[in-house]
Amino acid sequence: MEAVVRRKAAAYVCRSCTRQFQRQLRRNYSNSAPRPDIYDVVCVGGGPAGLSLLTALRANPVTSHLRVALVEAQDLSKVKSWKLPPNKYSNRCSSLTPTSALFLDQIGAWEHLDQTRVQPYHEMQVWDGVTDARIEFDWAPGSAPVEGTTIAYMNENLNLTSGLLKRLEQLGGVSVFEGAKVENITFGEETEDLDLSQWPVVHISGGKQLTARLLVGADGANSPVRAFAGIDAKGWDYDRHGVVATLEMEGEGWGGEHTKIAYQRFLPTGPVAMLPMPGNIATLVWSTTPENASLLKRLPPKDFVAMVNAAFRLSTVDLAFMHTQGADQDDEYSWRLQHTPFNSRAVPQTVVGVQEGTVASFPLKMRHADTYIGERVALVGDAAHTIHPLAGQGLNQGQGDVQSLAKTIEFAVTHGQDIGSIMSLESYVSERYTANHVLLGVVDKLHKLYSAESGPLVPLRSLGLNAVNALGPLKSFFMKQAAGSGTKIF
Amino acid sequence: MNPLRHDFIQTCRSSSPYSSFTVLTEDSSDILPPTSDAAHNTTHNTFNVQKLRYLDIGCGGGIFAESAARLPTTSSVLAIDPSPGVLAIARSHAKKDPSLSPKLTYLSSTIESLPTLKPEAVQKKFDVVSCFEVIEHVDHPALFLDHVAQFVKPGGWLVMSTIARTWTSWFTTNFMAEDVLGIVPKGTHDWHKYINEYELRGYFEETEEKRRFWGRPRAMGVVYVPGLGWKEVPGSEKVGNYFLGVQRLAGEDA
Ligand SMILES: Cc1cc2nc3c(=O)[nH]c(=O)nc-3n(C[C@H](O)[C@H](O)[C@H](O)COP(=O)(O)OP(=O)(O)OC[C@H]3O[C@@H](n4cnc5c(N)ncnc54)[C@H](O)[C@@H]3O)c2cc1C
Ligand SMILES: C[S@@+](CC[C@H](N)C(=O)[O-])C[C@H]1O[C@@H](n2cnc3c(N)ncnc32)[C@H](O)[C@@H]1O
Repeated sequence: MEAVVRRKAAAYVCRSCTRQFQRQLRRNYSNSAPRPDIYDVVCVGGGPAGLSLLTALRANPVTSHLRVALVEAQDLSKVKSWKLPPNKYSNRCSSLTPTSALFLDQIGAWEHLDQTRVQPYHEMQVWDGVTDARIEFDWAPGSAPVEGTTIAYMNENLNLTSGLLKRLEQLGGVSVFEGAKVENITFGEETEDLDLSQWPVVHISGGKQLTARLLVGADGANSPVRAFAGIDAKGWDYDRHGVVATLEMEGEGWGGEHTKIAYQRFLPTGPVAMLPMPGNIATLVWSTTPENASLLKRLPPKDFVAMVNAAFRLSTVDLAFMHTQGADQDDEYSWRLQHTPFNSRAVPQTVVGVQEGTVASFPLKMRHADTYIGERVALVGDAAHTIHPLAGQGLNQGQGDVQSLAKTIEFAVTHGQDIGSIMSLESYVSERYTANHVLLGVVDKLHKLYSAESGPLVPLRSLGLNAVNALGPLKSFFMKQAAGSGTKIF
Repeated sequence: MNPLRHDFIQTCRSSSPYSSFTVLTEDSSDILPPTSDAAHNTTHNTFNVQKLRYLDIGCGGGIFAESAARLPTTSSVLAIDPSPGVLAIARSHAKKDPSLSPKLTYLSSTIESLPTLKPEAVQKKFDVVSCFEVIEHVDHPALFLDHVAQFVKPGGWLVMSTIARTWTSWFTTNFMAEDVLGIVPKGTHDWHKYINEYELRGYFEETEEKRRFWGRPRAMGVVYVPGLGWKEVPGSEKVGNYFLGVQRLAGEDA
C-alpha cells in the first residue's frame, strides 16, 4: 500500500487521482495504523508564491529529487485552463518587475504565460492631487538601463498562476492536493525508532495527513501555517479599500502601442492608479475609504466611469463632492470638467467603459511577520508580508522570497543539511527580511505622507516630487528601483 | 556544521580525473593522461550516477555523518566512534530524520579495531574517508593514519580537518618534529605550538613508498567569520583551521 502511494505520488497527481488516494488511504486507516506520509516540502497555498517555489524546486536538477506536495483550497484545474476572450481582462492584475520576469524565465515559466495578455510599460506619471506637483518617470536619453526601458510588465494574476501550473505539469513530480483545505496542523509522533515530534503534520480535508520536513506557508495574508508556527504578524489596517476594475479606454494611450504609460495620482483618500493592459484596456487600482469604495461598487457603469475620469482630472474638492452624490455622477462630471483646466496629455486617455462584473474591492492592510522561519517552517509571499498596493510590489516581493528560499534549499541540499532546520533556513531570512522591511516602511510612509490634505507636509511633498523630477540622476534611481534593476535597497 | 567540509570534498574529488570508480593500477605511471572527455565524465557521471560510500572516523555527535548521508550522491555512511556517550547522542539525533536510517550506520569502534569488528569494511573500502577534528586527539597519529589508509578505495579520498592551535605539544614535538619530519631540534616547543599544514602533509610525502600510495595532498585554510560563517581564506592553512585531502592511488594495501 505504501509503495502504491509513493509510486503514484512521484507523478503529477490530478484531482481524480488525489481522490483515489484519499479513498485508498481511508481503507488503509481502517486496516492498520497509518504510516506517516513524509514529504521534503509541503507547500500550503497555490497562489503566485507557492506555485513559483514549487516550479523553482522542480526545475533545478539539484532539488528536483525532493518529494514535494502542494495543498490548495481552490480548484486548480480551473486556474490551469483559465481562458478569457482576447478583449476581456481579469480585474486582478499585478505588475511584474523585470527582475521577477527574469526569475520566471529562469525557471521556465515565463514562456507559459499568454504573452498577448502581458503588457510592458515604459513610463510612469505620478502626481500629487492637492498640489499638482508631478514626477515623470520617462527615460532621459542615456539614463535607460542596459536591460531595456521596460519599467514593469502588467499581467493578470491568473495568467501567471495558469502559466506556472502549465510549467509544473510539464515538470511533473508534484503531489497536488487541490480543493483541499488545511484543517489542522499538528506535530508528528515519537516511536521506538523514529522521532517526528518536531515534524509538522498537515491535516487536509478528506482526512489525508502529510508530514513535512519543511512546511512552506505560501497561504496568503491569513496564513494558517504562520499561525501554526506561532509567528506573529504586526501591522495595521489602513481603513482603506482597494477598488479594482477593468477599464476600456478611448485609445491605446498617448504613447501608442509601443510606449505604454502607467499613471498614479495621490488623492487625500489614497492613491488612484491606472495601469496599461494590451490594446485599449487598462486596469484600475483605487485605494479609498471603505464608504467611497462601497459607493463606487454600487454605481451604474456610466457613473462609475465618470468617477474614474474625475479621479484623474478634477480637483480633490470636486471629487469629494461627487462621492457624496447618490447618483448622476456622469452629468456632474461633464459639467465640472468644462470648468477644470488641465493638460489632457498629462492624464490617462478618457475611460469609455468598464467591463461587466470587474468592479471589486479589497481591504488594505500592512502586515509584517516577526520572522519568516521556524523549526521546519518557512513563510513566503503575502503570508510573510502584506503591503499597500500603491507601489505594485506585493507580488514581486513574493517572487524575491521564493528565489531566495529556493537558493537556500539548494545550498542545504548540496551540503547535506536538513532543509527544514532553522540553521539551514537562516540565510533566507537574513537575505529577505530587511529588504522587505525597508520597502514596507517606505510604502507605508508614502501612503501616510500623501493622505494629508493640508498642513506642513503638503508643501513639503510637492517640493519633494518637483525636486525629484528636476534631478535626473535621482529620478533614474527611482525608476530603476521600480523596475527592480537598481541597487537593492527596496 | 561547517558546510565547507562538503565543498572541500567536492573540490578534491573534481580536482582529479580519476576517482574510485575509475580502475587504477598500482603504478601511477600507467595511468593515462585524462582526455577532456574523461575528465568530463568523471566529474559529471560519478556525481549523478555512481553513489559514494563514506566512512566517518571519530564521528562524535554525527553532524557530518548525517549531512553526508543526506546527500543524494551518497549510497551509505559508516560512522564510527569509540565513545559510547557521543554515539548515544548521535543515534538519538538521527532518529529525528527518517531519511537517515537507510543510509547511515553508527558503530562503536576505534579505527584500529574496525577490521576485527567489520572485516568487510576493509574488503569493500570507501570512496570518501573523513576524519574531522580527530587527529589531534589520538596518541599515535602516524600509526593512526597507517590504519586509516586501508579503508580508502584506490582513487578514493581521505579528508581531514584540524585546528592547528589545539594540537598538543606532544604531537608537535614527539611525532611531527621527530618521527615524521625530523627537522625540528628539541627545545623549540614554542615555535611549534601550532602545527603547520605542511607537517601533516609531510606524512603523505615522506617516503617514496608513501608518494606512490598517495597523490599530492590538497589543503584549504578556513576562517570562521562571525555573522558570515566559515570562509575559505587562501593561505590561512598556515595559521589556523584547515582541511587536508589526499587521494589514494595504489591498489594494494601497504
Ligand atoms: C487590490 C490589490 C491590488 C494589488 N496589486 C498588486 C500589484 O499591482 N502588483 C503586485 O505585485 N501585487 C499586487 N497586489 C498583491 C498581490 O496580489 C499579492 O501580493 C499576491 O497575490 C500574493 O501572492 P501569494 O501567493 O503570496 O498569496 P495568495 O495569492 O493570497 O495565495 C494564497 C493561496 O493560499 C490558499 N490558501 C489559503 N489558506 C488555505 C488553506 N487553509 N488551505 C489550503 N489553501 C489555502 C489560497 O486559496 C490561495 O490560493 C495587490 C493586492 C491587492 C489586494
Ligand atoms: C573532537 S571530536 C570530533 C567529532 C566530529 N568528527 C566533529 O567534527 O564534530 C573527536 C572524536 O574522535 C574520536 N576518536 C578519538 N580517537 C579515535 C580513534 N582512534 N578512532 C576513532 N575515533 C576516535 C573521539 O571519541 C571523539 O569523539
